[in-house]
Formats: sequence, C-alpha cells, structure tokens
Amino acid sequence: MLTKTLENIGAKVMGALAQAGDFAVLSGRTFRAIFKKPFDGASLLHQFNAIGVNSIPVIVLTSLAVSAVFAVQLAFGFRQFQAEGMASGVEGLAIVRELAPVIVGLMMAGRVGSAMAAELGTMQVTEQIDALECLATDPIHYLFVPRLIAGAIMVPLLTALGIYVGFWGGRMILVGVEGQSAFVYSEGFYQLLSARDFRIAMIKGLTFGIIIALVGCWRGYRAQGGAEGVGNAPTSSVVTSSLWILVMDFFITKLLLV
Amino acid sequence: MEPVIDVVNLSKAFGPKVVLSNVNLQVQEGESLVVLGGSGTGKTVLLRNIMGLLTPDQGHVAVEGRIIHQLKREELFETRQKIGMCFQMAALFDSMSVEENVGFALTRHTTMTRAQIAERVDECLGLVGLKDTNKLRTSELSGGMKRRVGFARAIALKPKILLFDEPTTGLDPVMTDVIGRIILDLKAELGVTSITITHDLKSAFEIADRIALIFRGECIACESPDDFRKNPHPVVQQFLRGDADGPFLQDPPPPKRALARAHHKQHINI
Ligand SMILES: Nc1ncnc2c1ncn2[C@@H]1O[C@H](COP(=O)(O)OP(=O)(O)OP(=O)(O)O)[C@@H](O)[C@H]1O
Ligand SMILES: [Mg+2]
Repeated sequence: MLTKTLENIGAKVMGALAQAGDFAVLSGRTFRAIFKKPFDGASLLHQFNAIGVNSIPVIVLTSLAVSAVFAVQLAFGFRQFQAEGMASGVEGLAIVRELAPVIVGLMMAGRVGSAMAAELGTMQVTEQIDALECLATDPIHYLFVPRLIAGAIMVPLLTALGIYVGFWGGRMILVGVEGQSAFVYSEGFYQLLSARDFRIAMIKGLTFGIIIALVGCWRGYRAQGGAEGVGNAPTSSVVTSSLWILVMDFFITKLLLV
Repeated sequence: MEPVIDVVNLSKAFGPKVVLSNVNLQVQEGESLVVLGGSGTGKTVLLRNIMGLLTPDQGHVAVEGRIIHQLKREELFETRQKIGMCFQMAALFDSMSVEENVGFALTRHTTMTRAQIAERVDECLGLVGLKDTNKLRTSELSGGMKRRVGFARAIALKPKILLFDEPTTGLDPVMTDVIGRIILDLKAELGVTSITITHDLKSAFEIADRIALIFRGECIACESPDDFRKNPHPVVQQFLRGDADGPFLQDPPPPKRALARAHHKQHINI
C-alpha cells in the first residue's frame, strides 16, 4: 500500500520533471530560432493583430470593471476613518503595480494562449505539423517564433492600455460618483508611484507575454490523440500559464521592489 | 552505384506492437519503387522513417548516403528540401488557400518572384486537373481534390526524390491514370526517384520499376513487376488475386455466401 503510493508519487514527479525539461528544450529552441531566416513578416503581422489589436475590447472592459470596483472598495474603506483623499493614491498604486499586469496577463492567457494551443493542437493531430517538417520548415521557427514575438511586444502594450483605462475607471467612481475633485484625483493617482513602478509593470507584461506564448504553443505542439487531445491542450495551457503568471508575479515583485 | 534511398535492417515498434522488423529496401537513382501491403502493415510508418518523422528502433535509413536519424536539424531540413512527400490524408494547411499550400515551399526556399511562383503553382495545379481552384480554401475541396492538391504541393519544388502515400486512393479511375502518368513523366523528364504506396494494382504495374510487398512487418518480395507476377509465394499470389482466402489475413475471413449456404444445407441434410 505504502510502496504503491510512493511509486505513484515517484511516477508523478518524474512525469512533471520530464514535462518541465521538454518545455525548457522547446523554449530554448524557440529563442534560438528568432533570428533564423527567412523572416516571415506576414505571419508576424497576423499575430500582432490576433494577439494585440483583437484583444483591445476585452482588455478595456476588464480593466474598466476591475479598476471601478476597486475604487468603490477603496472609497468605502477609507471613508471609515475619514481618509477619502488616500483613495486615489492607493488606486494608482494597486493598478500600476498589480492589477493591470496580472489582470491583463490572466485575460490574455485565456484569450490568446488557449487559441494558440487549440490551433497548434489541431495542426498536430491533422499532420499539418508533419507536413511543415516535410516541406523543410521548422515548426518552431514558423509557428512559435511569430507568436512569441507578438506576445512579448503586445502584452506589455496591453498592460499599458490597462493602466490607462484603469486610471479612467477609478476616476469614474472617485470623481464621478464620490464627488472628489478631478485635479486632486489626477495628482493623487501618481503620488505614490515612480518611474520604476511603470518599468516593473512593463517587465511583468513582457514576462507574462512570453509565458503565454510559449506555454500555449508548447501545449498545442504536444497535443496528441484526436479530438480529446486537442480539447485538453487549451485547458491545460490556460491553467499552466495562469499559474506561472501568478508565481512569476510574486518573484518579480519581490526581487525588483526593494 | 550507391542507392539514393537505402533502408537498412529497419525495425520499428510502438510499445509492444512490432510494425516493421528488419526491412531492407534499396532504391536506385531514377527508379520507381511501388510498395504494396495490407492495410495497417506499416507502409506509412516506413515513409515516415525515411522522412525522419519517426526514429527507427533498429537499423537506419540513408538518403543520398546521409543517415537520416543522425543528421542535425539543419542538415535534415537540407535533405528534406530534395524530397517531396505526399501525405495519405493530404495534410493541407487549412488556414491557407490552395495556391498558398502549393506555393508554400517555393515561397520559403527559393528566390522566385511572386509571378514566377504563381506560374509554377498554376502549372502544378494544371497537371492534376485543378485549374482555377487557386483561391479556394482547403475546406471547400472534396477528398479527392485535397489529395491532388497535396500531390501538387509535393512536386512544386521539383524535388529529386518523391514519396507518395496512396496518392490515388479515393480518386476515380481516370484521375488515377492521370496521377500515374504524372509520376511516369516526372521520372522520364527529371529522373525523379520515387517510392509510391498504393492499393491500386493496375497503376502499380504501370509505374513500377520494382514492386515490394510488405507482409507482417517484413518485406517478403522486392522485384520487377514481371517477376512479382510470377512469384510463387502464396501471400503474393493471394494479394494479386485479391482473394480473402489464404495466408494473408491473420483471422479467417467470413465465408463467402455461396459456400456458406452449401455448408448450411449440408448441416440440414444430416
Ligand atoms: N504513432 C503511432 N503510434 C502507435 N501506433 C502506430 C502509430 N503509427 C502507426 N501505428 C501502428 O502501426 C501500424 C502500421 O500503420 P501504418 O499507418 O504504417 O499502416 P499502413 O500500412 O500505412 O496502412 P494503410 O494502408 O491503411 O494506410 C498500425 O497498426 C498502427 O496501429
Ligand atoms: Mg498508410
């Protein structure tokens, strides 16, 4: 009984290690393939569109909702000890440092990471990836690289958009509903922030974009076994990349915010 | 002379299931080899080993003297540029149009201009009787059309080696003959070396310089069409007759209707 359990745990650990190793190898190959020829501009442009432009509505809506509800909470909380003036500063701090990067990261993991996994998974089980290989095209270079580049550029940009929209979401509540002065809000929003905080937000966006693209491509590329395999790829890519986004968020914050 | 494709002692198993055991095949330059064999005997697995999509358990495949599974990825891609492969299920890129599918390798591996590529694509599509389908999406094609687009994609780069995995299955008899002729033309004009897997005996005898038969993971015959016809091996003869009775199937087939009825009567009479 006990040995059986130990055996199972051992097998699980070995499996997880093998997966991690596989992911590391494929990631390494992707980074090395970035500068290989031929450069595929059309595909990159397509990914910029799919990852970046098409995500704008989702990011605007979620950032607006999260920043507004956070402002409501702050206004309520600070009113308890007559410190409503603090609300805008804390709102800015929270949005720039945590809310915008993490919310954008998680939304993008759900929106584009899963799409990548589904697309590559379908290509894998219908032999299209084998066909690429046979046409002397490295699937890593042809499929992974444009998605990685687009993710690494677009997720930070969308994070910036999230911050901008978050500013207006907070203003909507604190100025529009709570009746604070617009000038005080604008001043207060940036009061507790420095340039470093924006830099960290961009670093988070970059990291999350890379995680989303690599995990999405990897899960799709390794899909096998028909419809069920293709169905599992997006789910596991969202779970895996969300988890890593939260873990990396902690470490980036802990390391850079000294 | 060194063979262009040299399959040496090739063995491949998936888990406990042995698919190929100790297969040896040589294809000389400009030769057309046809591979026959029952469904599920490992013909596709053989081609995938030649392309380097699978790694052999034992033995090796050498193309132009280079052992495929030992090549670095760059070298492998170099070799693959000389090989055209036509997949059993076509494996077309479904996010692209017919034209983009056929021109894919041309766009990536040559310095041809757009106009030249378009011309070559038209030429290839014309060969397989698919003029004016350039702009269609692959989801708008019938099964046979997909197969022919796959065929056109494989020959677009004018490779010296062609591997066809059942290029004519699902095509009408006329189109089957057309594909057979294209393969013969490619051989005559460009000296193409080819391996064709087919279940169609008529076109097999037309295009083959040699015919190989794979049976239970082994290559039991590999000889010229005339010798193949005369081969006394019971499996070969059964395959040529297309008869269900014989050593070919592992499980005995259901009896034929007439026989079954006779058998039934006998029982009743007794
Ligand atoms: N990736 C794989 N994993 C496990 N088994 C496989 C795999 N690929 C092929 N096989 C097995 O290998 C055997 C041979 O398959 P293969 O596709 O080569 O058959 P085939 O000769 O091409 O048949 P057909 O004429 O029907 O296309 C089959 O029994 C199949 O179950
Ligand atoms: Mg097959």
